[in-house]
Amino acid sequence: MSTVKIFTKQECPRCPQAKQLGADMEQDGHSVLYYDVETADGLAEGTFFSVQATPTIIVEDADENVVADFRGQVPTREELLQTINAQ
Amino acid sequence: MGSVIDLQARQKSEQTNTETTDMTLDVRTSGEDLTGWDRGKIVEALIRETGLDQQTSEEISIEVEEVIKKAAIKCITAPLIRELVDSKLIERGLEEIRKKHTRLGVPIYDVDQLILHPNKENANVPHGPEATNLTLAEGIKKEYALLRVFSPEIGDAHMRGDIHLHDLGFIDRPYCSGQSLEYIKKFGLSLPNSLSIAKPAKQPEVLLAHMVKMAAALQSHFAGAIGWDAVNLFFAPYLEGRSDKEVRQLAQMMIYEFSQQAVARGGQAIFTDINLYWEVPKHFENVPAIGPGGKFTGRTYGDYEKEAQRFVWFLFDIYREGDGTGRPFFFPKPLVHITEKFFKTEGHQKFLEHICDIASEKGTTYFVFDRGDTAKISECCRLSFKLNDNDLNDAKEPWKMRFCALQNVTVNLPRLAYKNVDNEEAMFSSLTDLIKLAVKAHLEKKKFIESLLALGENGPLALLMMKTDGQPYIRMHRASYLIGMVGLNEMVQACTGQGLNESKRALKFGLKVIAHMNLECQRLSKEHGMHFVLEQTPAESTSYRFARLDLRDFNEQARKYVRGTIDSGEIYYTNSTCLPVSSNENPIERVQSEGLFHPIIEAGSLTHIWLGESKPSKESLANFVIKTFRETLNDQIAFSPEFTNCLQCGRTVRGMLDACPCCGSQEVDGITRITGYFTKVSSWNKGKIAELKDRNKNQGFFARTKTGSA
Repeated sequence: MSTVKIFTKQECPRCPQAKQLGADMEQDGHSVLYYDVETADGLAEGTFFSVQATPTIIVEDADENVVADFRGQVPTREELLQTINAQ
Repeated sequence: MGSVIDLQARQKSEQTNTETTDMTLDVRTSGEDLTGWDRGKIVEALIRETGLDQQTSEEISIEVEEVIKKAAIKCITAPLIRELVDSKLIERGLEEIRKKHTRLGVPIYDVDQLILHPNKENANVPHGPEATNLTLAEGIKKEYALLRVFSPEIGDAHMRGDIHLHDLGFIDRPYCSGQSLEYIKKFGLSLPNSLSIAKPAKQPEVLLAHMVKMAAALQSHFAGAIGWDAVNLFFAPYLEGRSDKEVRQLAQMMIYEFSQQAVARGGQAIFTDINLYWEVPKHFENVPAIGPGGKFTGRTYGDYEKEAQRFVWFLFDIYREGDGTGRPFFFPKPLVHITEKFFKTEGHQKFLEHICDIASEKGTTYFVFDRGDTAKISECCRLSFKLNDNDLNDAKEPWKMRFCALQNVTVNLPRLAYKNVDNEEAMFSSLTDLIKLAVKAHLEKKKFIESLLALGENGPLALLMMKTDGQPYIRMHRASYLIGMVGLNEMVQACTGQGLNESKRALKFGLKVIAHMNLECQRLSKEHGMHFVLEQTPAESTSYRFARLDLRDFNEQARKYVRGTIDSGEIYYTNSTCLPVSSNENPIERVQSEGLFHPIIEAGSLTHIWLGESKPSKESLANFVIKTFRETLNDQIAFSPEFTNCLQCGRTVRGMLDACPCCGSQEVDGITRITGYFTKVSSWNKGKIAELKDRNKNQGFFARTKTGSA
């Protein structure tokens, strides 16, 4: 099963949009993890994936391989679903 | 140091008078003269130095006089008198007064040892009278720092090995500096206390002379490296009309001048970094150029690209030749910035292969990666000053670009794991406490340095307070305060059971530790209005010191994780956030994994690629550099080959050998990078020797590897 990882921070104009997308995905039964890059856990995870802008959305497959990433941008729900369903 | 005082007592045994005036005791003082015994001087000193009241001071002086008389001491010294006074202070429970009254000095046995044997704390300091002076002075200033500059809490944390306060022996100076040649180009050389003033240079050779002298002056006011920004670009306006032969000669002069200055502080070469560019950096493109005589040339630096390229090409020609015996030049360290613009600049591929050829042949080149809009001045072993918007604004008047780091405090990470076994929350809480302690140490050093700076041009840091351009040379409001780390790998191993390179989980745990440190630095920076930043500590001796202290104080745990050979005392911790030097990742995996940490270590990082005796082709190294720039976030890389220098026949060959392959002599010395710079292996401390033995030399990884003489 794929996992969607969403990286956000407090003062970031497009982050609420990314979080909303995550909530929608959760409602659809997808696994979504949220990371605030202003916390140690969030910054560590973000650094592991070389996140340099927020929001960033990363999709991992069941083996934790990155299959898609949207850096500094929020994809549409369809775009994200398409990526997940391609797995 | 204070003079050792040779005193002769001529005490009449029959004398019983307690009045000091009646004692005929000669005292040879620290002022190097003989004075008669005078109890009153003890009283004076106690009141003057400690503020003790008159009556107690009088009583103590009488008690000390009694001791001297009763003991019938034949040879009395001023230090002995002071010790006797101190013992009386202790008897009365006056500990704080004793601390103020204590004498800093060195046992005569230690002086013997220092004069006879080299000090290997810093491999850049050779053994000689100047080095001995440096070590003795450092010893006293270290004690002074721990007693007078830092609070007991900080001093004790350093002594225990929870943290390491770097360069305590240089307590009355900032740590490192980075600057622009434009300062001396515009204003000439006018240093406080110098016997003459030079107007701005009209010839490139004179500019070089000014640069070398300024570097020497700065070296005596900073503890560490002296970095220079965009050296080839700022020399360019002086090179127009000069033949290739003349420019090549100037390049040769520059490298030899900086590599042979092993005559200054402690007999060590000036730790010099020159930042170099193939392209004209974006932030200097439209800046009015300063030329001969300190006058604006009427053109901008964007117009000097070709001259700057000609100079940097010749610099690397000289680096390729090596010194008179073919050895690599240790200084000045050339740091070539690789930027987006680099790849858009004509001739970049040919230049990249040129500097990669030198990297393979001599290891000299450092590759500094400035991705996106990043601009920085690099120096020291890995320190860099990233330019913010204000700095980029200053770039319009580049002589203003003067940066410094005031101090470096390193945190002992493995010990945190030993102290908080199986309790991650407590460990992170302890880490927060240590960072706060490091910040407190910075505040204390800042206060001390500011008290010296406040003395202005009559004070000990007059050079840093010269106001040639209207503001002090040192720009304290732009100072960085460094917080380093040692042994992340061993800490992670102790916490997760695996080293950084052994699992994703371990690597992520390591990232969490550094992320935590980074966020604490940001929080404390806001709180104090200062710039606390993480740096990969070079830890030339700190990784050895921490390992040694942990083996002593946390033996049961430390012996599982300390690297090297415990029995021989050749032990160390892995440097900063690096993967273990012995791990067998291929170089690109190492550059990627280590590079993950670099974006959150803002004040500089470096990945070493140990080459041993192999000589990769310039094309394969160039590909490697491009790949590193494009596919990783690694901040800086250097390829580090090894050499053997024969002390008998003088030849230098590739590889670390026991005997010279040319003449068979066993009188040989190894040469390779110790931390961020090349040195002779004979000058290394035990910890670094152990690390050298463990290094994975990446044999066979790069294409078209060949071996042979240097």
